[in-house]
Amino acid sequence: MPRFMYIFRGGGYAAPEALSPTELQRHLAKWKEWSDGLLRAGRLPMAQPLAHPPSGKTVRGRDRVVTDGPYAESKDLVSGTLVIEAASLEEAAELARDCPILEFDGSVEVRPVLLPPTV
Amino acid sequence: MDGAKGLVEDLFRREWAHLVSALIRLLGPAHVSLAEDVVQDALLVAMHAWRLGAPKDPTAWLIQVAKNRAVDVLRRGARLQPLPSAETWDTTLELALSPEADGENQLRLMFAICDDALSPETHATLILRLLCGLSPAEIARAFLVDVQTIDRRLHRGRARLQEMRNLDDIVAAADVRARQPSVERALYLLFNEGYHGSNEENPLRPAMCADALRLAELLLGAVGVEARTVHALAALFCFDAARLATRLDDEGVVVRLAEQDRSRWDRTLLDRGVRHLAASATGDEWSRWHLEAGIAFEHTSAPSLAETNWGKIVQYYDVLMELVPGPVVAMNRALALAEARGLDEGREALAALADDRKLADYSFYWAAQADVERRAGHAAEARALYARALARAKSHAERAAYQRMVSELEG
Repeated sequence: MPRFMYIFRGGGYAAPEALSPTELQRHLAKWKEWSDGLLRAGRLPMAQPLAHPPSGKTVRGRDRVVTDGPYAESKDLVSGTLVIEAASLEEAAELARDCPILEFDGSVEVRPVLLPPTV
Repeated sequence: MDGAKGLVEDLFRREWAHLVSALIRLLGPAHVSLAEDVVQDALLVAMHAWRLGAPKDPTAWLIQVAKNRAVDVLRRGARLQPLPSAETWDTTLELALSPEADGENQLRLMFAICDDALSPETHATLILRLLCGLSPAEIARAFLVDVQTIDRRLHRGRARLQEMRNLDDIVAAADVRARQPSVERALYLLFNEGYHGSNEENPLRPAMCADALRLAELLLGAVGVEARTVHALAALFCFDAARLATRLDDEGVVVRLAEQDRSRWDRTLLDRGVRHLAASATGDEWSRWHLEAGIAFEHTSAPSLAETNWGKIVQYYDVLMELVPGPVVAMNRALALAEARGLDEGREALAALADDRKLADYSFYWAAQADVERRAGHAAEARALYARALARAKSHAERAAYQRMVSELEG
C-alpha cells in the first residue's frame, strides 16, 4: 500500500494564552481520537513529533555553515510528521481533513513517500 | 500511544492548580502572573508534545517542563529580588513541586486569597482562576458577566496578593480561624455557581462542583481550622452534587425534584455526605451549613417526594431564617410549608413575600407560585404565573421547563 507523510505546521501557536487548561486538554483528546481512528482503520500511523518550543540547528551548503534554530514564522514551523498508508494521495488528503491542527489554524502537507520499486 | 490513562478527566486543570500554587508559594504572591505564565507555557508545551502520543507518566513530564520553565524565567528574572543562588534552586523547586507539598501549597493560597479587603465574588473568582484553572473567559461564562468584569476582579486580587510578603504569613491559628468563614463562603459560592449556575449551558459546571468539594475536603486538613463547619459544608456539597446528573433531562431541560429519578442519584457521594454530616455533629451550635446540609439530607434520604420529612425541613428553615434571614430562604421555607401543611399555607406564605423587590425579579419565585396554583387545579392562574417566570428566566434549561408546563396546562 502506498505511504504518505503528513507534515504538520503551526497549530496552537497563535494567542495560546487565551486557551484554558481544559481547552488545551480537550484539544489533545481530539488528536488522540483522530490518531486512534487512523490506527483502527489500519493506516499504520508512525508519528514523529518535534520538540516544542521549536529549537534546532540548520547546516547549509558546501561551507557546512551551522546556524541556530528554525526561524520561520510560527505558522510555517514544522511541528511533527506522521506517515500513514492510504490507497491514493486523494484519500490521504481526505483523511487529513479531520486533523485537529486545522482548528488552531495549522496546516497538514500531504506528500507521497517514495518507496523502492518492488523487484 | 501510551499514557492515555493519565490524560483522563482533568489532568491539565489539576496540574494547573498544583503547579501554580507551588510556584506562588515559592516565588511569593507578588509573582502570581509570572507563575500563571510559567504554567500556561508548560501546558502549551505539553499540548504540542503530546499531540501524537502522550508520555507514560504525563504528570511527571509536566512537572519537569514546569520546573525547566521556572528555572529559565528565574535565570532571566532580574525582577525577582532577592534571587536565591542557582544551586539551591534545583532542590527548592523540587521540594515545592513535589506531590507531598501540594495540599499545603493550595491551602496557603486559598487562605491568602480570602482576604478581608476583597469581596466574596473576588475570592471565588481568584479561586476559580488559580486553584481550579479556569480562564477568565470561562469564569465570565460561569458567572454570566463580561470578561472585563472578571479581569478587573483578577487584577484587584493580584494587586492585593502582591502586598503580602509571602503565603506563609497566614499560618497562625488565629489568622486561619479568622479567615475560615471567608474561605467557606467562597467555596459555597463556587459550588452554587456550578450547581444552580447562572449559565446552564456551561460544560464546566460539574467540574466547579467537584472542585468546591475537593477544596472543602482539603480545608479539613488545614492546621487551625474548625472542622465541624467544614464537614457540614462538605456534606451539603456531597448531597447536592449527588443529584447533579438528574437535574437536567436529555434535552437539557430542568427537571424538578418531584420528577428526578432518585435511583440515579450518586450513592457514593450520598454516603460520603452522610459521613461528613456525622462528623459535623459536634458542639451545640448550628451553622448555616449545618442547616442547609440537614435540609439536603432530608431530601436525599427520602425514598420519594411524598415520603420526605417536610415537617423537619420546615423546622430547619425556621432556624435558618433566624440565622440568615433573606427572601430566598423565606421562599424555600414557604415551599416546604406547602408540602408539610398544604397548598393553602404555602400560597399564603409565598404571597406574604410579594413586596420583596429581589423576589419580584426572581424567576423561581414566580415558578414557585405557579407550581402551587397548578397543583391546586387553577390552570389559568398557573399559566399567567409561569409566563412571568418565563420572562425572568436566565437560562435555556429553565425557560424550556416553564414552556413545557405552560403547554401542558393548555393541552
